[in-house]
Amino acid sequence: MPVVLFFSVFLIAACGLIYELIAGTLASYLLGDSVLQFSTVIGSYLFAMGIGSWLSKYIGRGLVARFIYIELMVGLIGGFSSSILFLAFSWTDSFRFLLYLLVILIGILVGLEIPLLMRILKDRFQFHDLVAHVLTFDYLGALGASLLFPLLLVPRLGLVRSALLFGIINAAVAFWSTFLFRESIGRPAGLRMLSIIVLAALSAGMFGADRIAAMADDDLYADEVIFARNTRYQRIVLTKWKDDIRLFLSSHLQFSSRDEYRYHEGLVHPGLAALPGARQVLVLGGGDGLAVREILKYPSVEKITLVDLDPEMTKIFSSNPALIALNKGSLKSSKVRVINEDAFPWLDNSSEVFDFVVVDFPDPTNYSLGKLYTTAFYRLLARHVSVNGFIVVQSTSPLFAKQSYWCIVTTLKQAGLKTWPYHVYVPSFGEWGFVLAGAGAYEPPATLPSGLRFLATQNVADLFRFPTDMLPVDAEPNRLNDQVLVRYYEREWKDISH
Amino acid sequence: MNSRRQFLSAALIGLSAKAERTIAGSFVNDAFPLGHKLRDRTLAVSPKNVVKVPIVIVGGGIAGLSAAWRLDKRGFNDFVLLEMEGEAGGNARSGSNEVTSYPWAAHYIPVPSESARYVRELMEEFGVLKDGEWNERYLCYSPQERLFLHGRWQEDIEPSDSSTPRDREQMKRFAELIREHEETGEFTVPMELGAKPSKLDRTSMLDWLNAQGFDSKYLRWYVNYACRDEYGAGMSDISAWAGIYYFAAHAELDDKGPITQPDGNGWIVKRLVNKLQRHIRTNAPVASIRKTGSKIRVLTPDTEYVCDTLIFAAPLLLAKYLMDDAPPVATQYSPWITANLTLDRMPRERGLDLAWDNVIYDSQSLGYVVATHMSLRSRIDRSVWTWYAAVNDRKMLLEKPWDHWRDTILNDLERAHPDIRQCVSRIDVMRFGHAMARPVPGSIFSESRMRLTKPHGRVLFAHSDVSGFSVFEEAQYRGVIAADRALRMA
Repeated sequence: MPVVLFFSVFLIAACGLIYELIAGTLASYLLGDSVLQFSTVIGSYLFAMGIGSWLSKYIGRGLVARFIYIELMVGLIGGFSSSILFLAFSWTDSFRFLLYLLVILIGILVGLEIPLLMRILKDRFQFHDLVAHVLTFDYLGALGASLLFPLLLVPRLGLVRSALLFGIINAAVAFWSTFLFRESIGRPAGLRMLSIIVLAALSAGMFGADRIAAMADDDLYADEVIFARNTRYQRIVLTKWKDDIRLFLSSHLQFSSRDEYRYHEGLVHPGLAALPGARQVLVLGGGDGLAVREILKYPSVEKITLVDLDPEMTKIFSSNPALIALNKGSLKSSKVRVINEDAFPWLDNSSEVFDFVVVDFPDPTNYSLGKLYTTAFYRLLARHVSVNGFIVVQSTSPLFAKQSYWCIVTTLKQAGLKTWPYHVYVPSFGEWGFVLAGAGAYEPPATLPSGLRFLATQNVADLFRFPTDMLPVDAEPNRLNDQVLVRYYEREWKDISH
Repeated sequence: MNSRRQFLSAALIGLSAKAERTIAGSFVNDAFPLGHKLRDRTLAVSPKNVVKVPIVIVGGGIAGLSAAWRLDKRGFNDFVLLEMEGEAGGNARSGSNEVTSYPWAAHYIPVPSESARYVRELMEEFGVLKDGEWNERYLCYSPQERLFLHGRWQEDIEPSDSSTPRDREQMKRFAELIREHEETGEFTVPMELGAKPSKLDRTSMLDWLNAQGFDSKYLRWYVNYACRDEYGAGMSDISAWAGIYYFAAHAELDDKGPITQPDGNGWIVKRLVNKLQRHIRTNAPVASIRKTGSKIRVLTPDTEYVCDTLIFAAPLLLAKYLMDDAPPVATQYSPWITANLTLDRMPRERGLDLAWDNVIYDSQSLGYVVATHMSLRSRIDRSVWTWYAAVNDRKMLLEKPWDHWRDTILNDLERAHPDIRQCVSRIDVMRFGHAMARPVPGSIFSESRMRLTKPHGRVLFAHSDVSGFSVFEEAQYRGVIAADRALRMA
């Protein structure tokens, strides 16, 4: 009997610690800055436990029934804590509020557990034995949980299921207590029924865990988050794993520092190197300054105008040391003018003409972004390019989104431009497509700036050759009033992910 | 991204919900005080001068402006246009605030087929149609429309989610019947070019659907919605000819439309007014139109105009109050209400992107149109939504206070947008007691309507009321035809 009793102390201690670890992990996972998150979560949790212990003195009669109620509540709230937090992060703006609300609620309930249990057991043991045994098992439970959590639970079950599993353990302890302390409860049947309901709810959660995770999945990252910020326009997240820095904008990977040179050399040089003497360059999107870094390799370029909607983006990429190391401080060059405006209306109100235009927008995932890939936009762009100048458009993957890629080519043609489609292999993206467009004629460049890591003069022409599985397919042009591209894109990327 | 932060937020964010915000607004542009003065003949008139002019146009809506446009185009400059309100535009009027311009009523024109030659001519003049190609900046951007059905948005207004094979079979059969009617060549834009007296006009759209055995609730909702949206009354009150006309006259063209701008049809009014400025007299309500000898005397509060020919381009219900010898006008009118909601943040969206025209299934309203939809911006964080509804009870329309409409509108939108009350900062409401002619059974081929298409002495009726229903193409056509006739008479 005593061992069995103290085993339940062990279990509830483990549960208590697990909820605390889950809250801390989730907070550092989703908000970044793990030292801050863990400190504040542990601090609030321990403080709340103190409140719980203090409140325990107000519980007078019916100790066992109260204890069982508390176990069930801890099980329910703790068990669903990570599901609630994941969903809250993805779907609401009140993540932080809910995080601390849950931490404090669970803390108070857990703080009530041990004092109540000790009072329940006080008549069965000598006081000095009781204190010694309860605390021993309490600390053992904590040790067990702290080892189990990183080694087994997170890798095998994930955060959503781990919490639910321990919720089930809490509820099972409650159920078990209805038998253990049978003689101290007036009507055990009601409590047993309630325990079964809670157990059923938590088990249902276990079965539905995949769906809960999938609903929140887009905002989870494989690597450590070193920077995260919600701006007016998007969510900017930087992750780091060893020497690899990755940028995500609203959950879409923008680059990996390991291979971005392939993307940006491929984006800029085939066009710009073919325009000796180009002086005015426009970059639309590309607030990371990486395309600008490549453009600055041409001494003839006098002025680079960068139009990116999000001031936070250009600010981070001209102030964070790790990012400045990546873009070589390109955004701070005296040749660069940064304009934080919406590209379409900006261009519509501008009368400037450029020799080379880099169009590096996010993929056309919705109708708002799709406007930037329409005949209307390209017609406008064509009016801002000098007679022999070129436009280059990042155009998603000609392998994974074939019809989307060729739709962009068709749209540029429909806008009265000649096109020279090409592609580059970028390991973190796969095969990636670009389209060079202009009114004049194009010949691959005879020379390239020195110091490139990917492109060499003899292999530029190869980029314009498409293997059989990426050959042109029929596509309608994308118009403002009939955005076929968004539909192609949605269908093709959905096919990939299933 | 933001589009995903929704559903649960309603439940979860409740925990940190802000206190309910106060929403500003009022009734605006009420026309009926002036209208009722005309009706009661109590308008104070003391003309100080007399102006002789060959042609007077009464009314500055699309019909009057089109008559003026036509006269001007044919090189005739000796005319004035009298508008009772402070600005021209009628049902195509628009407004603007710090966020965007927005429509007050009419907000689009379907892409015109070859038969609507004057609409095409106007669009060519405006540079919207060039060498047979439409400027896509004037065509409604994707996504054009969506329907909130059973708790989620679906593409297009025709209900398709959770429709049964029987629904789909009836939708298909309905489309085939419409195509058959279209092929008769009787359903043209403008209507006068093809319309032939038809027994369809003697029955209601509801009876016609019943007679054809259409019992699909989705199809019936859709047809009823179309009648309410186009004519301001449900299908039981609308002539089957008019109901079918709506579908058959606007068959799918290659060019996806409709033609629209942030201010609805307001941009057309602005360009016409700009061009015809020197002929337009605003704040010039007409108190009476009297024939004396071969002249027509038109009385306004400060000027009396003496003309040879008068183009009556105001709502025809006014004719009997202004003219002694007005022909009988049997037209019934639908009351309307429109509201412009200023949103200082966008509601959370679930599923589909916000469309231009957004309709809620089984709602009493007709949905809302998003003024910022026609913006070139890729990020929109504020907007104006034009909510509109056809109201059956004219008395109720005039008696209910603004708060009633605020709550009606927010309750309606809340079904699809749980956080709408946190987004709206202002609701301006405009009431139209007689918004548009209602093509009730028998009205289209009635003798009284037919008589209005002919000259009444030297008075020419030019209003969409002459066609029996209120759409841009009809108003413009009637204006142009009246101008041509007036020139022939001169």
